[in-house]
Amino acid sequence: MWLTQLTCRRFRCLDEIDFTPGPGLNIIHGDNAQGKTSLLEAFLYVCTARSHRTLHERELVSHGDDGFSITAVAQRSDREVTLEAHYWQRAKRFKINGVAQTRISDILGRINTVFFSPEDVGLIKGSATQRRRFLDMEISQINPRYLVALQQYRQILKQRNSLLKQHRPDPTMLDVWDAQLVPSGETVMRERDAFVRALSVRATEAYARIAADEELALAYAPDLEDPASFAATLEQARETDIRRKQTTRGPHRDDISIVIAGKPARIFGSQGQQKSAALALKLAEIELIHDQAGEYPILMLDEVLAELDAHRAQHLFESLADKVQCLVTTTERELTEKIGGRPYRRYQMTRGRLEAQ
Amino acid sequence: MDAFRRLPGVGKRSAERLVLHLLSAPEGEAHQLSEAIATARARITTCSQCRNLTETNPCGICTDSRRDASIICVVEQPAGAMAIEKGGMYRGLYHVLHGVLNPLEGVGPTELRLERLYTRLDGGTVEEVVVATNATAEGEATALYLSRQLGQRNVRVTRIAHGVPMGSGLEFSDEATLSHAMEGRTPLG
Ligand SMILES: Nc1ncnc2c1ncn2[C@@H]1O[C@H](COP(=O)(O)OP(=O)(O)O)[C@@H](O)[C@H]1O
Ligand SMILES: [Mg+2]
Ligand SMILES: [Zn+2]
Repeated sequence: MWLTQLTCRRFRCLDEIDFTPGPGLNIIHGDNAQGKTSLLEAFLYVCTARSHRTLHERELVSHGDDGFSITAVAQRSDREVTLEAHYWQRAKRFKINGVAQTRISDILGRINTVFFSPEDVGLIKGSATQRRRFLDMEISQINPRYLVALQQYRQILKQRNSLLKQHRPDPTMLDVWDAQLVPSGETVMRERDAFVRALSVRATEAYARIAADEELALAYAPDLEDPASFAATLEQARETDIRRKQTTRGPHRDDISIVIAGKPARIFGSQGQQKSAALALKLAEIELIHDQAGEYPILMLDEVLAELDAHRAQHLFESLADKVQCLVTTTERELTEKIGGRPYRRYQMTRGRLEAQ
Repeated sequence: MDAFRRLPGVGKRSAERLVLHLLSAPEGEAHQLSEAIATARARITTCSQCRNLTETNPCGICTDSRRDASIICVVEQPAGAMAIEKGGMYRGLYHVLHGVLNPLEGVGPTELRLERLYTRLDGGTVEEVVVATNATAEGEATALYLSRQLGQRNVRVTRIAHGVPMGSGLEFSDEATLSHAMEGRTPLG
């Protein structure tokens, strides 16, 4: 699928943008702080109802304004999809093909995207929280049922934790919330397991192509070995939970283990290895979305070129060949070597204004 | 304007229209409305049996001898009872909780005054309690809690079938869905 048109109004420093990228490689050039990342952020927001930089929509509104709107039109193999996001005086509204939507789970996956920026190395060297957020976003995008289960799980977990904060919580009440927590928690664990299994095969392949002589291995590292044991585990942990006043076991403690050449990449990986692993993860995700959605997602690369040496950059564009639409931002002027002489469309971003060149 | 905006279903624009209308209408009209609201509010109490909103105590439903006193339907809010009444299929009594179990907001069994429901079962007339709380996590938890508590009291506890859309309240489901939900209720617990 490819983005044919993106319009934003009063989104961050972008007062009025009408962006009509081509199906292949699109390079958005500009100095620092001109609005390049904001453009990608707007596209990401309209597709996922989330920004990668903030949880607060207020921050996305142009300073001194009341709201923003974003419209994205994408061409899928068999149809055109239009997504709209409007934020006005603290209320957000989404539309798909002009029809208002009430559930985020209905919006996700209409236009599939993969976003890659230098901060994504945090997936390898950062905390488990970052890896869980990655899992949650990516699985939701290909499997709306997952998001429903996840939202339920989070809400019930909040209720249970709040109950645990009470002085001597009522055991029957705990039973009742446990009974709610188990089915949604089990779904979350099973879907994560399936996703990481599929991702891991793709990531190992991708890493082998980038760094031929080492092996990357991904595995789901759940808090509970067996999802079916969730009810029993909660029961066993109840005394501890009451003492610590929080739920100590469950998928909110999950992680992904990432191993390069037999060693945990988070601790022992060199910077180069960690960057390559982050790239491999993203490439794997692209293939996985293709497997599940039947089409390639749209890839956004925010300032990644500066981070990649010519070898890795060439590899990246080679493996995407001509099948994936890429929206690439960069401050670098000289790109010929990195993109291997491929044709591309070039845009210039200056103080929130975009110009095709 | 803010007073109107606090009403359910009234946004900023509607609030503006209402205020402009009342301010430009003849003075009598505004007074009539404010009196009507005041008298209604003064007359309305909660029924001492079912805790539904009513002008008479006990309410018209609790005192209607044609209604089936062997079955009680538990709803979160008066609006839920009203929605089921509109469906016209249900002939039993109600019990309104005025909330659901919600530890985050400090609502437990005491705040819901569940003992008032238990007392109604002590007479021995009630054979079935249908739990019609919403299909939210809190609504489901409340249903399960009630089934645990009522199970010990020799009544059948059932849950309405959820044709009712996920995460939404009874007020929003249409009447046909509701009648269907009542027929398709299943044992709980
Ligand atoms: N809500 C906002 N309103 C107006 N300007 C903003 C807002 N948020 C951020 N900015 C400004 O937008 C500019 C562009 O940011 P960014 O898109 O990250 O630029 P780039 O990626 O080109 O370096 C920055 O100067 C930043 O201060
Ligand atoms: Mg940037
Ligand atoms: Zn009554």
